[in-house]
Amino acid sequence: MALHPRHVKGESRGHYIGPVVTTEQTPLECHEITKVFGDNLVAARARLADGCDRQMVLDQTGCLVAVRDATFSVERGETFVVMGLSGSGKSTLIRCLSRLIEPTSGTVKIDGTPIGDLDDQELRELRRQRLSMVFQHFGLFPHRKVIDNVAFGLEIQGAAKADRYERALEVLSVVGLGDWADHFPQQLSGGMQQRVGLARALCVEPEILFFDEPFSALDPLIRRDMQDELLSLQARMRRTLVFITHDFHEALKLGDRIAIMKDGEFVQVGTPEQIVSAPADDYVREFTEDAPKTKVITVGSVMQPLDGEVPAGEPVNLDAVLDDVLPRLLANPAALPVADDQGEVVGTVDRDRVVALLDENSRSGAAGAGRNADQL
Amino acid sequence: MTAAPPATGSSEVAGAVEARLTLDRRRRTRSGSELAVGLAIVVAAQLALSAVGGFPESWAVPLADWIDDARRWVINNQTTHWSFSFIFNPISDSIDWGLRTVERFLLWLPWYVVAAAGGMVAASALGMRAGLLAAVGVLYFGAIELWEESLQTVALMTVAVGISVAIGVPVGIASARYDRLQRSLRPLLDAMQTLPAFVYLIPVVLLFGVARVPAIIATVVYALPPVIRLTDLGIRTVSPATVEAAEMFGATPRQTLRKVQLPQALPSVLTGINQTIMMALSIVVIAALIGAGGLGQVVLESLRRLFVGRALEAGLAIVVLAMLMDRVTHGAAGLGTRRRRLRLMPDSLERLGFVRSVESALESLDRFMCRVGASLASPVRRTPGLAALARHPRWALGLVALVVVTIASAVLGRPEFPSAITFSFAPAIDWLVDWVRDNLYEIGGTWFGTGWFSDSITIYAVTPLRELFSADLAWPVVVLAVALAGWRLGGAQLATFCTACVAGLGLLGMWTLSMDTLAQVIVAVVMAILCGIPLGVLAARSDRFERMLKPVLDFLQTIPSFVLLVPVIIMFNVGRIPGIIASVLYALPAATRLTNLGIRQVEGEATEASRAFGATRGQTLRKVQLPLAAPSIMAGINQTVMLVLAMVVIAGLVGGGGLGLETVKGLRRTDSVGSGFVAGLAIVLLAMLLDRLLQAWTRRFTPVEGGR
Repeated sequence: MALHPRHVKGESRGHYIGPVVTTEQTPLECHEITKVFGDNLVAARARLADGCDRQMVLDQTGCLVAVRDATFSVERGETFVVMGLSGSGKSTLIRCLSRLIEPTSGTVKIDGTPIGDLDDQELRELRRQRLSMVFQHFGLFPHRKVIDNVAFGLEIQGAAKADRYERALEVLSVVGLGDWADHFPQQLSGGMQQRVGLARALCVEPEILFFDEPFSALDPLIRRDMQDELLSLQARMRRTLVFITHDFHEALKLGDRIAIMKDGEFVQVGTPEQIVSAPADDYVREFTEDAPKTKVITVGSVMQPLDGEVPAGEPVNLDAVLDDVLPRLLANPAALPVADDQGEVVGTVDRDRVVALLDENSRSGAAGAGRNADQL
Repeated sequence: MTAAPPATGSSEVAGAVEARLTLDRRRRTRSGSELAVGLAIVVAAQLALSAVGGFPESWAVPLADWIDDARRWVINNQTTHWSFSFIFNPISDSIDWGLRTVERFLLWLPWYVVAAAGGMVAASALGMRAGLLAAVGVLYFGAIELWEESLQTVALMTVAVGISVAIGVPVGIASARYDRLQRSLRPLLDAMQTLPAFVYLIPVVLLFGVARVPAIIATVVYALPPVIRLTDLGIRTVSPATVEAAEMFGATPRQTLRKVQLPQALPSVLTGINQTIMMALSIVVIAALIGAGGLGQVVLESLRRLFVGRALEAGLAIVVLAMLMDRVTHGAAGLGTRRRRLRLMPDSLERLGFVRSVESALESLDRFMCRVGASLASPVRRTPGLAALARHPRWALGLVALVVVTIASAVLGRPEFPSAITFSFAPAIDWLVDWVRDNLYEIGGTWFGTGWFSDSITIYAVTPLRELFSADLAWPVVVLAVALAGWRLGGAQLATFCTACVAGLGLLGMWTLSMDTLAQVIVAVVMAILCGIPLGVLAARSDRFERMLKPVLDFLQTIPSFVLLVPVIIMFNVGRIPGIIASVLYALPAATRLTNLGIRQVEGEATEASRAFGATRGQTLRKVQLPLAAPSIMAGINQTVMLVLAMVVIAGLVGGGGLGLETVKGLRRTDSVGSGFVAGLAIVLLAMLLDRLLQAWTRRFTPVEGGR
């Protein structure tokens, strides 16, 4: 089954925020990133090579394996979510991507350049020009006004005051804080503070944005607002995002692809649909149990290939989620035609099939396991 | 529902309870019996060694002679040896040049310009009223005819604090960045803060001789720790998330420091500078002993000749200076966060019509002055360095006015401080001293009075203790007792350390003097704790009492230790007792403050829970608040001991005797530098001994920290 990153679906609307660099290189590639904390690194590496698990390494060497052999790549414009519980190593992983934490082994390539080889100056240049990050507890500078927080990145790069203020005001109005430029961060609510964090990250026009649990410190309602805001921003600006969260629903909502992380390792990587419909193991299944499946599973994955006649009625799109077709299916026992993007009918879907799939999913979830393997 | 537990169960429970009670009893008797055994060992040792007595003097190392030789060598080689011509003398010369320049400038300024400048600085940091008070305070220097001496002290302070900050802030920054540097600095800074101020004077005298420059160097060394520590702390406590964010945006380490870390650490750095200023001020006075001159010199000379009134006048000038500098730097630490309204009179008088009109007149005057200032500053609005003036029109106007007046005075001839506004209350004080001596020593011819008070302390506490330590107890017994205490509190390592310290006192040939000082310290500490902790408890329980106590404690903590001696001498004449009483007063705030703080910091919920179970206030205090406040109270006791030690040593100046007197002699007379140095070393040993023992004891009260 083909991968359908959601953003590829429609035409992009609205204005871009800054130019999008279009090189052929994959913006972010990671190969077997491992991070071990501790003093006895040599021994710890040897144990890892022998295939010892995390607990054994800890017991035998006193070293903590925070991330182990994380391999993935993120396409341009894609939102890649790393989801895991606290202590699963996700915050360490995202810091390895910009070398805020130095990985113990493995390579990170940004636009094809291995960043492990960069010296301090080159690394700083990379961070200034291409990367940006939004932090869990905002990481705003309490001694600077909102506008000086947002303009910080440009200030560091040596931009003139007038230029950086102009840009900062522009970005502030994008996140809806145009009137708050002269306040101090403490005078703002948590949600507004994180908007400042977001504006600060966008201000330098990065290609890749890292989000380290940006919304987990916010109230549920504000969190939802911020997620919607991020989705709409992303629809317009199409950056490459790496998003860390411990909230499975948030991962489903925002991610084009999701990596589930446990004890420092990726348990499963796939689209929300793949993960929900085919959890790789019991650990993942526990998360999927109360997931809103009908909002994730697409018609395309439950349809039967067209055999013979085309049923009557308006065709539904391959990429429509079940939620979109359920009312029609419930009202009408007959099968519905399913069409691809060109409008050509390629299959059918009926009520029994959907009910059977949801039922089977909620009981075993094992159906189709391994379907995601080729997506890694 | 009322089913009784089965009989077997109840007997099991009773058994478990019994076992627990036994265990508890045993635990309690064990610590009791440990103490008993320790005492028995000490007593037995004393009985066995009763003929030994104090430390044999023939064992003393002739360190004093070596020091005197070194001093002689320094004097002979000062002009020829490379280390002087290339290191010490250039340092000394440049400091001297700086000091002279500042001093000459301050004394060149007309008196009214100095007063106005003082007022303006205070006004901008604290507000209108403080500004006026500050100006009056500066005028006081002239009014008691100590203008020159006061400004000498100010100049000394300026240079010393300037050097301290210039060294301390960069070192603090480096220490925040490099853990290894911090680790190696910490014991050094700890030791520097433990030592009584004028221990520093002696090695400086050794290298630089007696003059103003060594006084400055000693001051810098003494005052350096707070600014280093608090710069380090300030930078380290900057939220790591902001530092990470800066890094993520590609900031260089220098940019991160300048734009993120230092601005956030600024309040802490300023607090450090404030503390440095206060410490510098307290030692600048003591440094008069080695020729610092200034106000300290006046206090010292007057005390020596028992001109108590004059001493108090000069002492008050020091207090004024201290309060001024303390409040102004305190205010400056919060500068920029809130805007102060221009107010001359308290808000409570607002309802009076004429007050309102005065205030509004002042405000319109201020607005006018701001406009004038802004127009004056407008030409330099774009000049880097001067642009700040355009943003602060009051400063601009004030600066211009001061410069104009100064130049005008220089052209027209500089007026002396007018003798019309001078006064002296020294005669009144001297009369009071006589009166106190005549009337309060034995009030109304009875046995009761200050004489009785000081005699009782001497006869029943100080003298017996001193005799006990220095003569009655055999010296090995004292060493043994200290070693046992160290072993019980901190294991073999601490026991070794303590033994070394006590034995060191003997080996330095300072056994008798050290025991004298120790006896005074113990008496003063007991008195300070007996007064201080109950006061702290009371303050914690009553907000009103706390409010009443606060200015008194503030005052006691702000005035330099040395000045505190003067009023005590008025009451108790000279001798050991005024020294002890001054130490009690000096150390009292620490015990009271930390007791109060400890109790008040106990979580509201813990106190509430106790009250909810129906505990009385007394029960809550005993069972919840005091145990939880114990670490803080112990810290208070620790500080009390160190402050008392520092003060008792200073009391050597007014007949306190002991190590203090010996050190002072060393500073005064060139031929006894050696023995002064050795006495200073003995003070260091005593201070480290008491400090380590108390810290080990304090740690036992600290609750177990929940770790992972």
